[in-house]
Amino acid sequence: MSPEPILAPRLQVFAVAVLLVLLGAVARLVRRHQLSLRDSLLWLLSTFAGLVVALFPELLTRFSALLGIRVPSNALFALAFVYLLGNLLAANIAISASATRVRRLAQECALLRAELDELRRRG
Amino acid sequence: MRVLAIVPAYNEARNLPGALAALRDAAPGCDVCVVDDGSTDDTAAVAARLGAVVLREPVNLGIGGAVQTGYRWAAARGYDVAVQVDGDGQHDPGQLAALLQPILRGEGDLVIGSRFLAGAGGGFRSTALRRAGIRYLSLFLRLRCGVLATDPTSGFRAAGRRAIELFARRYPSDYPEPEAIAVAARAGLRVREVPVTMAERRHGRSSIDAWRTLYYLLKVSLALLLLPVREAAPLPAGEPRPEGPA
Repeated sequence: MSPEPILAPRLQVFAVAVLLVLLGAVARLVRRHQLSLRDSLLWLLSTFAGLVVALFPELLTRFSALLGIRVPSNALFALAFVYLLGNLLAANIAISASATRVRRLAQECALLRAELDELRRRG
Repeated sequence: MRVLAIVPAYNEARNLPGALAALRDAAPGCDVCVVDDGSTDDTAAVAARLGAVVLREPVNLGIGGAVQTGYRWAAARGYDVAVQVDGDGQHDPGQLAALLQPILRGEGDLVIGSRFLAGAGGGFRSTALRRAGIRYLSLFLRLRCGVLATDPTSGFRAAGRRAIELFARRYPSDYPEPEAIAVAARAGLRVREVPVTMAERRHGRSSIDAWRTLYYLLKVSLALLLLPVREAAPLPAGEPRPEGPA
C-alpha cells in the first residue's frame, strides 16, 4: 500500500464523473448533428484517455517518474494542458480549412452571379 | 490582346464613378470588372449602372479574396492580361499603358507600379513610417525570394497569362500584395516594375490605419518567413506546374 494516494478517492470519483459527463456531452452533440463525428474523435479519444488516468492514477506516478516530474499532480496538470492545446489546435485547423472553403465558395458564387447577370441581359 | 481591369471595391459607391470614368477614358478597349466584396452600400448597383461586369461576393473576403475573384474571372474568360486598379481613385489609369508594356513585350509576367522607382513623379508617397516599412519589406523580399520590388505594397499591378493562372489558383489573403509578389517569384514568374504616380484617396480612409502599420509588417513578415513550407505543397493533380524562369 502506497503511503498516500495521488488522487484522493473523493477527487477520483469527482474526476471520473466530470469526464463521463464530458463524454456524454460530446456524444450528445454528435447525435444532434451539432458536432461532426470527425471533429468529435479527438475529444472522445482524449477524454477517454483522461478517464483511464483518473481510474488508474498509478499511471501518473510512472509517467512522472519517466519524465522526471517530482510531484505526480504536476504531471496531471501538464497532461491536461497538452490535452487542451491538442484539441484547440485541432479546432483551429478545422476553422482554417473552413475559411478556405468559404472563400472558394463565395468566389464561385460571385462568378456565377456575373454569368447569370450576363444571361439575363441577353435573354 | 484582351485586357481585364480588376477593380476590388468595398463600399466604394462614391469613388467608383470617377474611377471607372477615368479607366474608360484611359483604356477604352479594356473590359472592367468590379469585385464587390460584400459591400453594404450600393457599390454593385453603381458599378452595374456604369457598365462594368460586377462580381458580387455574398460575404466580405477582404482584399486578397476579392482580387482573386477577379483573377478567377480573368482565367475563366481567357483574358491575356489582368490589371488591378483600386476603386478609390488612387491609381491613375493614364499610366495603364506603361504598366502593360513589359507584358506586351514579353519581358514580364507580373508588373508592379512603383512610386519609388527612378522616374516616378511626385504624388502621394505615404507617411514616413510606412515608407520605412515599405523599404523593409522590399529588402525582405529581395533576401527571401531574390526579387527586386521597390514598392511591394502597391496594388497597381498587371498580370500576364501565367500570373493570372497562378493567382486564380493561389492568392494570399489579408494583406496580400507583398506576399503575392513572393508567390509569383517562387513560381518562376518574371516580376518587373514600372514607375507610377499615385494620388491620395478622394473619399474615405485607407483600409490600413497608421497605427496598424506595425501589425501589417509583422503579419507580412511572418507570411514571407513561412513561405517555403506552404509553397512546398504540391499543386493539385492535373494542373501543370509553372516552368522555371526563362
